Amino acid sequence: MLKLGALVFVLSFLLVPPLPGQNSDIFPYSWKVEELENGLRIVSIPLNNPNIISYYTIVRAGSRNEVEPGKSGFAHFFEHMMFKGTKAIPRPAYDDFLTRLGAGTNGFTSDDLTCYFVVFAGRENLEAVVRTEADRFINLFYDEEMLKTEAPVIEGEYYASVSSPERRLAETLRDAAFVRHSYKHTTLGYLADIQDMPNQYEYSRLFKKRFYAPDQTILLVAGDFDHAQLMEMVKKYYGDWERSNYILETPLEPPQTEMKRVHYSWPTPTLPRLAVAFHGPAYSDEKIDKAALDLLAEAAFSRSSPLVQRLVVEEQKCQSLGASFPDRRDPYLFTIQAVVKKDEDLPYVESQIFQEIERFKAEPVASDRLAEIKSNRRYTMAGALETTDGLAGTLVGYLSLTADPGTLNRLFRLYDRITPEDIMIMAKKYFVKENCTIATLSGGKTQ
Amino acid sequence: MKKLAPYPWLGIFLVGIIGLAAACGKQNPNRLSTELLPVEGQPLIHLKVLLKVGSANDPTNKEGLAYLTFNLLANGGTRTKSYQEIARLFYPLAATISLRVDKEMSVFSGTIHRDNLEKFYAVFKEMLLDPGFREDDFIRLKTNQLNFLRKTLVGNMDEQFGKEILNLMLYEGHPYGHHDAGSVETVEGITLDEVKAFYKDQMVQGNLVIGLAGGYPPDFPDRMAADFSVLPESFTPRLSLPKTRRPDGLRFILAEKQTPATAISMGFPIDLTRADRDFFALWIAGAHFGEHRQHLSHLFQKIREERGQNYGDYAYIEHFVQGRDKFPDTNYCRQQQYFSIWIRPLANSNRHFVIRQALRELRKLIEEGISEERFELTRTYLLNYTKLYAQTLDERLGWQIDSHYYGYKDFLAEAQAELAKVNRQDVNRAIRKYLNFENLDIAVITQDAEGLKKALVENLPSPITYANPNMPKNILDEDLIIQAYPLHVRPENVRIIPAAEFFKKPGIPGEP
Repeated sequence: MLKLGALVFVLSFLLVPPLPGQNSDIFPYSWKVEELENGLRIVSIPLNNPNIISYYTIVRAGSRNEVEPGKSGFAHFFEHMMFKGTKAIPRPAYDDFLTRLGAGTNGFTSDDLTCYFVVFAGRENLEAVVRTEADRFINLFYDEEMLKTEAPVIEGEYYASVSSPERRLAETLRDAAFVRHSYKHTTLGYLADIQDMPNQYEYSRLFKKRFYAPDQTILLVAGDFDHAQLMEMVKKYYGDWERSNYILETPLEPPQTEMKRVHYSWPTPTLPRLAVAFHGPAYSDEKIDKAALDLLAEAAFSRSSPLVQRLVVEEQKCQSLGASFPDRRDPYLFTIQAVVKKDEDLPYVESQIFQEIERFKAEPVASDRLAEIKSNRRYTMAGALETTDGLAGTLVGYLSLTADPGTLNRLFRLYDRITPEDIMIMAKKYFVKENCTIATLSGGKTQ
Repeated sequence: MKKLAPYPWLGIFLVGIIGLAAACGKQNPNRLSTELLPVEGQPLIHLKVLLKVGSANDPTNKEGLAYLTFNLLANGGTRTKSYQEIARLFYPLAATISLRVDKEMSVFSGTIHRDNLEKFYAVFKEMLLDPGFREDDFIRLKTNQLNFLRKTLVGNMDEQFGKEILNLMLYEGHPYGHHDAGSVETVEGITLDEVKAFYKDQMVQGNLVIGLAGGYPPDFPDRMAADFSVLPESFTPRLSLPKTRRPDGLRFILAEKQTPATAISMGFPIDLTRADRDFFALWIAGAHFGEHRQHLSHLFQKIREERGQNYGDYAYIEHFVQGRDKFPDTNYCRQQQYFSIWIRPLANSNRHFVIRQALRELRKLIEEGISEERFELTRTYLLNYTKLYAQTLDERLGWQIDSHYYGYKDFLAEAQAELAKVNRQDVNRAIRKYLNFENLDIAVITQDAEGLKKALVENLPSPITYANPNMPKNILDEDLIIQAYPLHVRPENVRIIPAAEFFKKPGIPGEP
């Protein structure tokens, strides 16, 4: 047997975050925020880990920005177009650059953001990355034919998950729950809009002009570099990027006035699914509404909660049961979702979910239980910050919401202040039947 | 199997592994072994208990037993604690135990903050050493496993479904030749007593590798080893696997279901693993031809980028499971490997064209080899990209274990030296030696399977159309060649099987 317990090595990739103590900031690294004259915000987190740099470009535009009819899925489509190259660095040269760099690179689109990342080894490569990324954001070039060739790829991406009932349930739920707001559609968009993308060249130019601009964008750089040198490079390469000054007005979602119910019939056999959703508040690190409901989601619907233990483990009615309430810039859905084992148990599971909700409206969460929940959140966050890329990936969402990394610390301080009474008040405020949409999905009997 | 001599490890990112393998020395095969990766000051600790046993160790007619047994440890109660109590204990610690079961390896793992190590470990240890084998946990997890086989796998995840059908085809009559979760018929027949017996047989010291990474206390490895030394001193001999065989011709299985998109996986067994010297040359070939989810992939360029057919197209020279981001996951080591091509779902109307295109590109790879330019680009890529593979404690420890499995001190470090030695001729020699374009198993999930069978067998033309009316002439010219590219498909080599028939029994439906 090996006995190397006394030997200690310093590993270069791993970060060494301090303890997530109750009184310390949850985000344990120091950061710098600067803004160029054109509005480009730079969030820089220099770290003492040799080798790796995570370079993220966060465009604060996602499917939320698709406010016009027929344009659902466009932010995601535009993410694809962003890889088409420029006149100075055409696509093959861009690919060649990233390939030689051996970078981990991709883009992803969400409701509120589109993010592009290049994770690479070696600080000597930083300037080339800054130069190349700045070039494609400022000088992206594609013609109509390139767009027409790329558009069907989105349909392919749609097909890649076409056999997933989760995706279909989410589409069905959002479409029913929202009337006006662009959160009505998913990031991939409606199939009909996807199929019309080859005809959207002119709109794509407009989309770029509005949202691919420095005043809509944040650079997040974490890892092994010198901040002053980074800023010199950023000024040099991004300084001429022109503002758009565009202000998006998302349609205001009217208050829901009656409970809605929708069903999707899956063509082949599947475990049935249930989603119970309530319109909830937008992300905030100041108002307690969202934070209190985050903690309620844990108290009522995490794997340690009485309801989940009963329905999943004891009664075995559900294969899984949980709640999700993503942070969004505008008010979004608090959703309880169950994968049920038998179609005939859907009504029972639904009734149990409502019964539990009523209990949380009537009884405060025990204070020791609340302490456990806060502990879980702190340790979960500490685990997510294990690597340079982990911390950058964690920050992306928060930066898209507020453009300020300090929001994470403020949020966790807000969690610390939430009391059992706060949770009960928010349960009463948001979990009312008129504010609820229920979506179900069940399968056919034969293939 | 040919093993490489140890090479100096290069790259500062790998200093942590120095000397660990050497320190292993000769060891008693009946006793457990340990893999350590201490990191001073790191508040996180990663624990692994790896068993050198997997679904290939399932007894005949009990396929799915390894998965069910280990799942009962990871997601069931202990003798003294119910699963609910464990969930409540773990929750404030943000702790979970994950399980992966592959053909010849199964791993329990968890990451914990050092504040909570003792509380976590007390339960973790009990889960593995003193399991409850409770009837209600058994029923719950068995039902989940059956639902996965009956509904989820065949109905809700076509890309994975395609890969699993390919596995059935590649390993027909072989210990790898069933799904890790088994089949409906065999899982239904498993009793709790059989689970207990399998645990008793397989949870023995010689099958175990205990792994620790991060900021654990200095005495912790000895404590953990002593705790797990209560297990019997014994081991399961490594499986003696039958020699794999290439399929005879192009063999299709068309899994038929109602679907707007066709999922395709194809491949053949190859007589090479990471332990072979030729691996590095073939690695370059594989990355050039189909690097996972990278623009570098030639197939991606031809099928997606030039023609917009689907979301991506890739190729692999060993079993590949995606881990964090797009990097390969660890601890899926196998004695035998296979080459595969993964065509992501595409419109049914274009399925025949893309099957032709993928096979034609494979032929061109074998007949024309890799160009000097692509060789140099791909090698540079691998030298740099692999530096990103092992970042988390889980990944670093995983790579360390895999290195030792395949006979390296440190595979990723040694790869730096090995890749640097490979030349283009080596790559082209390896391509010709290990790959072929005439004998492949091809799994297709689609509707109107009869239509595809007829098109394949009769070599009907398969033209495609584009949204872009001004496609480049060179692509349209090539399309004319592809749409008529002859495939030699014998009618008896195209089996049409309803999707719902899969995984009722361990192998290919309808086969003995």
